[in-house]
Amino acid sequence: MKNILKNTLGNLLLLLIMIALSFIMISAVGSSQSQALSAFFISIFGSVYGLSEVFVRAIPLTLAALGVSVGFRTGFFNIGAEGQIYMGACAATAAGMALPGLPPFLMIPLVLTAAFLAAGGWSLIPGFLKARFGLSEVIMTIMFNYIAINLTGILVRTVLKDPSYALPMSPEIPDAMKFSSLLFPTRLHGGLFLALGAAILVYIILWKTAFGFRLRAVGENPRAAKCTGISVYVHLLAAALISGGLAGLAGAGEVMGLHFKLMDGITPNFGYLAIIIALLGKNHPFWIIISSLGISALHVGSSAMQRQAGVPSSISWIIMGALVLLILAKEQILIRLNERSES
Amino acid sequence: MALLEMRNITKSFYGKAANEDVDLLLEKGEIHALLGENGAGKTTLMNILYGIYPKDHGEIFWKGEEAGFSTPREALAAGIGMVHQHFMLVPTMTVSQNITMGLKSPGYPLTDRAAVDRKIRVLSGRYGLDVNPDALVRDLSVGEQQRVEIMKLLYRDAELLILDEPTAVLTPGETENLFVILRQLKAEGHSVILITHRIPEIMAVTDRISVLRAGRKVAERATADTEGKELSRLMIGRELKTVSLPEPTGARRACGAEEAGGGERPWDGLHLEKICCREKGRSRLEELSLEIRPGEILGIAGVDGNGQKELAECIAGIRKTDAGSIRLDGRDLTDLKAAARYGAGVAYISDDRHHDSLVLDMSLQENYLLNTRLRKSHSRRGFLGKKRSRAEVEKIITDYEIKCTGPDQKIGLLSGGNQQKLILAREFACDPGLIIAFQPNRGLDIGAAEFIREKLLEHRARGAAILLISTDLNEILSLSDRISVIFEGHLSPSMENSEKIDTLQIGRLMAGEGMNP
Repeated sequence: MKNILKNTLGNLLLLLIMIALSFIMISAVGSSQSQALSAFFISIFGSVYGLSEVFVRAIPLTLAALGVSVGFRTGFFNIGAEGQIYMGACAATAAGMALPGLPPFLMIPLVLTAAFLAAGGWSLIPGFLKARFGLSEVIMTIMFNYIAINLTGILVRTVLKDPSYALPMSPEIPDAMKFSSLLFPTRLHGGLFLALGAAILVYIILWKTAFGFRLRAVGENPRAAKCTGISVYVHLLAAALISGGLAGLAGAGEVMGLHFKLMDGITPNFGYLAIIIALLGKNHPFWIIISSLGISALHVGSSAMQRQAGVPSSISWIIMGALVLLILAKEQILIRLNERSES
Repeated sequence: MALLEMRNITKSFYGKAANEDVDLLLEKGEIHALLGENGAGKTTLMNILYGIYPKDHGEIFWKGEEAGFSTPREALAAGIGMVHQHFMLVPTMTVSQNITMGLKSPGYPLTDRAAVDRKIRVLSGRYGLDVNPDALVRDLSVGEQQRVEIMKLLYRDAELLILDEPTAVLTPGETENLFVILRQLKAEGHSVILITHRIPEIMAVTDRISVLRAGRKVAERATADTEGKELSRLMIGRELKTVSLPEPTGARRACGAEEAGGGERPWDGLHLEKICCREKGRSRLEELSLEIRPGEILGIAGVDGNGQKELAECIAGIRKTDAGSIRLDGRDLTDLKAAARYGAGVAYISDDRHHDSLVLDMSLQENYLLNTRLRKSHSRRGFLGKKRSRAEVEKIITDYEIKCTGPDQKIGLLSGGNQQKLILAREFACDPGLIIAFQPNRGLDIGAAEFIREKLLEHRARGAAILLISTDLNEILSLSDRISVIFEGHLSPSMENSEKIDTLQIGRLMAGEGMNP
C-alpha cells in the first residue's frame, strides 16, 4: 500500500518534471506555449484521425518491443530490432512478389512466416555467436542494424526495385497480402490485431508454459538453469529467434498495412524506440502496449507542434531521452527509499 | 569502561523482529562469540553496529560515548571492522591493491606501492598473518583470502574486528591457523566478535559467549564456566541428539526411475570408471573410479579445490567428462545431458545454492519447478500447471518448516537454511536413486543440519546411493558408510567407517601423503 502511494507520487513528480522541461524547451525556441500545447493535445485527442495515428504507430512499436522484451527476459540483449524490422519488411515484400497469385488466407500467413523467419534468422546469427562463443550480442546486434539497413538499400535499388519508377522502391505489393483497413479513411489497419495477438501470445508463452519458464530461468540465472538441466544454449537461440521474429513482424506489418511497398527508411527508428518501450513496460506485454501508445502519442503530438507552432519535433526525442533517465532514476530512488524504511 | 556496549537493540524486517532488546557488552582485548542458529539475528546485530542497517530502537556506546554509525565507512573510521561471510575482494587485483582500496595511500595520487607493501609486511610479521602483497587474489586459497580481509581491517587500524562465520569455508588446518591469529590479535590489544554456530571452535578460542535465539539474547557465559552441551541446549532450545553412526542397511529396491522402462531390474547403485576431466589444460580428475551400492553413503573428504566440484558436476552431467564411464543402476549415463540424468534418478545438491540451484528473483514455487523431473510432471501439453505444484510447495513449507510468507515469496528473501530446505525438498521429491550431496550443510545451523542428516539417512534406508562430498570431516565421519579422500583429482581407496576409524590417516591423505598419483 505504502509502496503504491510512493510509486504514484513518484510518477506524478516525473510528469511535473517532464511538463516543466517541455515548457522550458518550447520557450527556448521562442514559440508560444499555449499554441504548442494545444497543437500537441488537439492532434492526439482532437480527432478520430489523430487518435488513429497514435494506434498506427503503436502497432510496429508494440511488436518490436515485444520482441525486445522476450530477448531481455532470456538474457539476450537485442539492440537490433531496427535491423530486424528491415529484414522482416524485405522478406515480406520479396515473398509477396515471388508468389503473386495466392489468395489472402494463404498469402498473409505465408508472408508473415517468411518475415518472422527472415528477421528471426537474422538475429539468430548474433544469438548463436553469443550462445556458442560468448560474444557480446549488444555490439553484434547494433552492427547488424547497419548491415540490414544498407542491405535493404541495395535490395530496393536492384532485385526488389520497381522498374517503372526511378525512385529506389519496390513495386506495390499484391492486394492479397494487404491488411484490410479498419477505420476508413484513417490509416488504421489489421496489423492492430497482429500486435494484440502477439502480446497475448507472448504473455501466455512467458508465464503459462514450461518453455517460457525455462526462458525466464535462463535469463535470471543461466548458471542455475544449466545446473538444473535447462539448456542455456538452446533457449538463447530460441529467444533470439522469437525476439528477432517479432521485430520482423513489425516490419512486415508496415509493408502490408501502411506503405504497401518497400523503401529506404521504412522505420523512423522504431527499433530503437522499441528498446525504450520494453524498458518502460518492464518487459511485460500489457505495459508494453501502454508504453507503445504513450510513446506513439508523444510522436504524433510533437510533429503537430512542429507543423503548427514551429517547435522542432526533435524535442520529442529530448523528452524521450529525459523520460528514460528519469524513470531509471526513479526506480533506483524507490529501491533506496524502500531499503531505508525496511532496514 | 567497556569498549563497546549495545543496549536494547531492536530491529524488525517486514514486521518480523530480527533483534529484540539485545544487549551486548564487550571489553577491550576480549574475544566474544555471538552464538546462535541461522536466523537467530547474529549477523543483523553486527550489521546494525557496522552501519549497514539502522536500528529501530536501542543505544550503542563506543568507548563510553554514544555512537550510531550510519555507514561502514564511519564505523571503520571509529575503529570497527567487519569480515563478511562472503569476502569483498577484487579477484583480478593484487593483495596489496585490495588492502589499500579506497584509501589515500602514501604518495597519493601516485601510490608508493613499495611503502604500502612494507607496512603490510610489518603487520604480517606482527600478527602472524602470512600474506604476500604481490599475489593476485584470484590465485589465493579461501584461507588466504580471509587473511587478506583481516589484513584490510588491521591496515585501517581497526580495534574491534567482527568475523562473520569465519570458519565456514576453512579446512581444519586453516581454522587452527586462524585461531592462532586471533589469539595474537588479542595479545596486541584488539577485540574480536566472532559470529558462529560451531560450538567446539568457541570453546577453543573465546573469552565470553552471548547466545542468541530467535532474535533474543538468551544467555551470556564466560567460556571457562560453561561447556558445549549447555551451549547447544541454549542455542537450539533443546538437547541435541547424540550423533552415532547409522546402522548399515540392507536396503535394496526393485526398480529404478520410471523412465528407465519400469520393469523389474536389479538395483545396482553408481559406478564410475576411470573418469577424466580436464579444464584449461589442467587435469582436474585423473582416472577416478568409485562405486556406491544402493543404500550406502560414500563420504568424500578432502581440502576444498581438489576436484570435488568437478566430480560432482561430472556425475550430474553439468560438466563433460573427457574419458571414462558413469553407470547408474546398470544404465550408462556417460553420454546423457544433465536433464536426462536427473530424469534417470540423479539428485544434485550443489555447494553454491545461490549460483547453481536457485533463481533468487523467482518465487519458492518457481524455484521448486526448476527441477527437471518436477517440471516435466507438472507440464501438460507444454503448459505449466501451477495449482497442483502450489499445493505441493505449501505442503513442503509445512513439512520442512520453511519460514516464509508463502509459495509466492521470492526465495532470495529467505535465510540460507530455509533456501536449502526448499532445495532438499525439491531434489528429494522424486525419490532419487542417486543423491549427490555437495557440502549440504554449508552455512546452516545445527537444527537445519540435523534435519538434512535425517533426510539423507531416510533416503539411504530407501535404497538410494548417496555421494556425500564435504570439507567438514566431522560431517563425513558422522554419516558415511565408507570414506574416500580426494586429493588433486585422485581418489584414495575407500575405508569402512567405524568409531575406530583412523582419522589421522584420513588427515594425512587429505594433505596428499600416501596418495599415489
